[in-house]
Amino acid sequence: MSIFIQSLINGLNQGAIYALIALGYTMVYGILRMINFAHGDFIMVGAYTLFYTVPMMVNHGMPAWLAVFVAIAACVIVGVLVERIAYKPVRNSGSISALITALAMSLFLENLAMVLFGANPKTIPKIFDLPMIDILGAKIQVKYLLTLGIGLAIMICMTLFVRLTKIGKAMRAVPQDKEAATIIGINVDRIITMTFAIGSALAAVAALMYCSTYPRATTDMGTMMGIKAFIAAVLGGIGVIPGAMLGGMILGLIEIFVKVYIAPGWYEAITYGILIVVLLIKPSGILGKNVGEKV
Amino acid sequence: MPKKMKTNYLINLVGLILLFLVLYAAFESGIFGSRTNYFMGIATTACYTIIMVTSLNLLVGILGEFSLGHAGFMSVGAYASAILTNALADTGIPDLALFLLALLIGGIAAGITGVLVGIPTLKLRGDYLAIVTVAFAEIIRVAFTNFQITGGGRTMSGIKKLSNFYWVFWVTVVCVAFMYMFIRSRFGRTVKAIREDYIAAAASGVNVTFYKVLTFTISAFFAGVAGAIYAHYITAMIPTTFNFNYSAEFLTEVIIGGTGSMTGSIIGATFLSALPEMLRSFSKYRMLGYSVVLVLIMIFRPGGIFGGWEFSLSRALSRFSPKAKAANKTGKEDE
Amino acid sequence: MKTKKMLSMAMAMSVAATSAFAGVTAFAEEEEDYVIKVGVICAMTGGSAIYGEGAQNAINMAVEEINASDSEYTIEILNGGNVADDAKDATEAVNAYNSLMAESPEAVVGSFFSTPTLAMAELAADDGMLLLATGATNVDVTLKGDTIFRNCFIDPFQGEMAAQFASEQGYTSAYVIYAKDDDYSNGLKDAFVESAEELGIEVLGVAECTTTDTDFTAQATNAVASGADFVFYPCFLDTVPLLVQQVRDAGFEGAIMGGDGWDGADTTGYEDYFDNCYFTNHYSSEDTSESVQNFVTKYTEAYGTDSLNACAALYYDAMYMLLQAAEDGGGSDTASLVAGMTEMEFSGVAGDIYLDENGDAIKPVVVNTYEEGQIKWLETIQPSA
Repeated sequence: MSIFIQSLINGLNQGAIYALIALGYTMVYGILRMINFAHGDFIMVGAYTLFYTVPMMVNHGMPAWLAVFVAIAACVIVGVLVERIAYKPVRNSGSISALITALAMSLFLENLAMVLFGANPKTIPKIFDLPMIDILGAKIQVKYLLTLGIGLAIMICMTLFVRLTKIGKAMRAVPQDKEAATIIGINVDRIITMTFAIGSALAAVAALMYCSTYPRATTDMGTMMGIKAFIAAVLGGIGVIPGAMLGGMILGLIEIFVKVYIAPGWYEAITYGILIVVLLIKPSGILGKNVGEKV
Repeated sequence: MPKKMKTNYLINLVGLILLFLVLYAAFESGIFGSRTNYFMGIATTACYTIIMVTSLNLLVGILGEFSLGHAGFMSVGAYASAILTNALADTGIPDLALFLLALLIGGIAAGITGVLVGIPTLKLRGDYLAIVTVAFAEIIRVAFTNFQITGGGRTMSGIKKLSNFYWVFWVTVVCVAFMYMFIRSRFGRTVKAIREDYIAAAASGVNVTFYKVLTFTISAFFAGVAGAIYAHYITAMIPTTFNFNYSAEFLTEVIIGGTGSMTGSIIGATFLSALPEMLRSFSKYRMLGYSVVLVLIMIFRPGGIFGGWEFSLSRALSRFSPKAKAANKTGKEDE
Repeated sequence: MKTKKMLSMAMAMSVAATSAFAGVTAFAEEEEDYVIKVGVICAMTGGSAIYGEGAQNAINMAVEEINASDSEYTIEILNGGNVADDAKDATEAVNAYNSLMAESPEAVVGSFFSTPTLAMAELAADDGMLLLATGATNVDVTLKGDTIFRNCFIDPFQGEMAAQFASEQGYTSAYVIYAKDDDYSNGLKDAFVESAEELGIEVLGVAECTTTDTDFTAQATNAVASGADFVFYPCFLDTVPLLVQQVRDAGFEGAIMGGDGWDGADTTGYEDYFDNCYFTNHYSSEDTSESVQNFVTKYTEAYGTDSLNACAALYYDAMYMLLQAAEDGGGSDTASLVAGMTEMEFSGVAGDIYLDENGDAIKPVVVNTYEEGQIKWLETIQPSA
């Protein structure tokens, strides 16, 4: 029983991290219909920023987690630059061009980090110093619960933001009809940039939560995590904000439970297998709506 | 114009034989001195990279879909062929026969995987399909890590070294020629029609499903052949080699060379597999450079360096020979 | 000295240039020149570049020392003094090996990982080239030919030693977490499990992970639930802090142990987690012997401690082994070096080595532990004859 509870919390913790990353994917995909492969690498940017700023915060007597604001700034700058410099010029050249550009930006960020920071993995100092509690014999890290809470809070905020605010409404209008959106006075470029900024900021928060559980920054940490988070987004229904959360949680739980109870050596294969099955049965994901193709 | 085409193929064959003889003479005469093995090694690497990149181009350029898991097909071919040659190692089969058999088995094994991966293409396109190919390649990698017969996560070493450059050269020629002919055949034209507008193609009575799966299978088959060459050249391999980054590298080479251009793929593959060797001391910056070039190409020349342009020996010759020029005028190259 | 080095470098470059551009066969000087020409290969780029960094620094240091010493032999590193890159990849390793062979080396040193080394070992066996593997622990490496040696442990040895250590310390039950997709990890795991059972340690579970995993909470949960008092994690330094932290966070209080892959793992910020952790290694930076102290101090002074790991020590030793092989074998050509190397007894940073009939190193193993995150020497276990 204690193994089950502990695994449940571990899975939810990992799921919350996937979900935070998946949120960024979903928002960008929702507006541009492109997989932003570089999104995983924004997490890497966040993680390296934390590596350098957490000790600074601690030295100045401030709580370590405040470093997340520096990371948010860094990620937003990188995210917006990537969008402006690389994505904007290819926005109208079709989905393949966009995907390749995204892939190229991902490679670029990773290799730039390799040149700048070297290959040695960086260990990030402790961010939260929280105790461990006992629930029914399972030892639970309070920081895991914190990650879960932050994930849920951000998801609710984002849902409300997109539903209720003017910018949020504009974000929903742009993918439906760009021209019409322009006519009614929406600055499409600005909305897209804004989406990237928000997505990148979420990546920085995800980096904080990731680093509090897995305190290590490497240059290639973004690739596979990005793909996993994308799977989470697809699973839940891409473009749907609660879907990202749901997909992330399901993925996190599956991974942990497969590792604990079934076959740890096969967990990645099972994750990918589920993706393929979901895509074949219901490509729009669990919460997504089926949209017919325009002829 | 079958006669016109026949002369064209003949001219190309003569050109290839000449190229082969030049390379043969260069390597055998010892003109490179102690560097002979080094250059031959790079040439072999270039050959299987060419097969990989052209076969991927079949998907990207002709079918208009793309695979981010091509290294997965390659590993299927590599492992299947290596298992075969290990099993047949002491049966006294001549090396050349064993080599060809290995290539065939590698290709068939990968082709079967290609059918499996091809089936989701019935429902998915674009981004989603790309992710599915990643998923398949990762599943293959995990499976090979777990199977005992593929080394169980350890390096599989001691594979018979069968890939000698001269054989590999001709295998590459045959593979590329086959793919080129496929593109120019009735099948290839149909696939292009599907790329342009699959709904219209389906409406005109084209069996979209069949052609898509067929293209995937052919592409995977040749990736498997390339994998078999790889296995019998490097002689030691581990499943982690065939990871996402390796697939991404092939895709990069296709894009830089030019989607839809076999010439672009061949030059791209040759150049990009030799480039890291020329710039060994800059290897830290290699992928950084690739990615910048890739972005620039996407912005300024989305079709790649060669676009859809194909080099034709007969056309090049016609510049010099008035007779061929006259003959050529009637039979203009497509694209 | 400097002029000599410059001169030899210029010569090497001009040789390379003439052979490449003018198509002239590189001159093959048969007469004794007292210069051992060595090609060095390691992973300089990619995720394992940290090892290459250490290797480059270590050979620079060793060559400088050797060439300044009064030995009649000097060492010249081909490829302009640079380590050739294999990026931990077999193809790149073969290319790197071929490119070094173009400069007619008398010995090749490398590589650090098993996969690239196995690919090169095939070639070296065919060419009759002396290959001194520095970190490739796969048993098969030295079996490829008579000219292939290594100065590191073979996989089974470290696993056995870890089991022996656990039994000596009175641990009774073990849980193994290993990377399924890596030779080294597989090799150590197999040997550990086998020896542990022989020594009466109950192996309560063997859990898999991969070399790229960051999440070990599932394995950690199972390890704690199994009730084992000893966790064996034979993997490389990049994931060690993650594993130790997650296993401790799951409530594990027993011992955690690894192999020489742990050397160089970063403990900053998690010092208390590393209490009661152990790893087997070739040397201990605490060792008071002259060679170790000389190596550690000089290395730290020149390059810091970032890349000071087992890899650096092994490449450093490799240079001295070649020097000794030349002195014992009576020449700097490959045949003499192989003769000198065969069944050699050598004493260096990584302990007293005896190369057995396969070319594998038989040497003592050092068990290190941590104290406030700093590596502390615990004991040295001599190999049983």
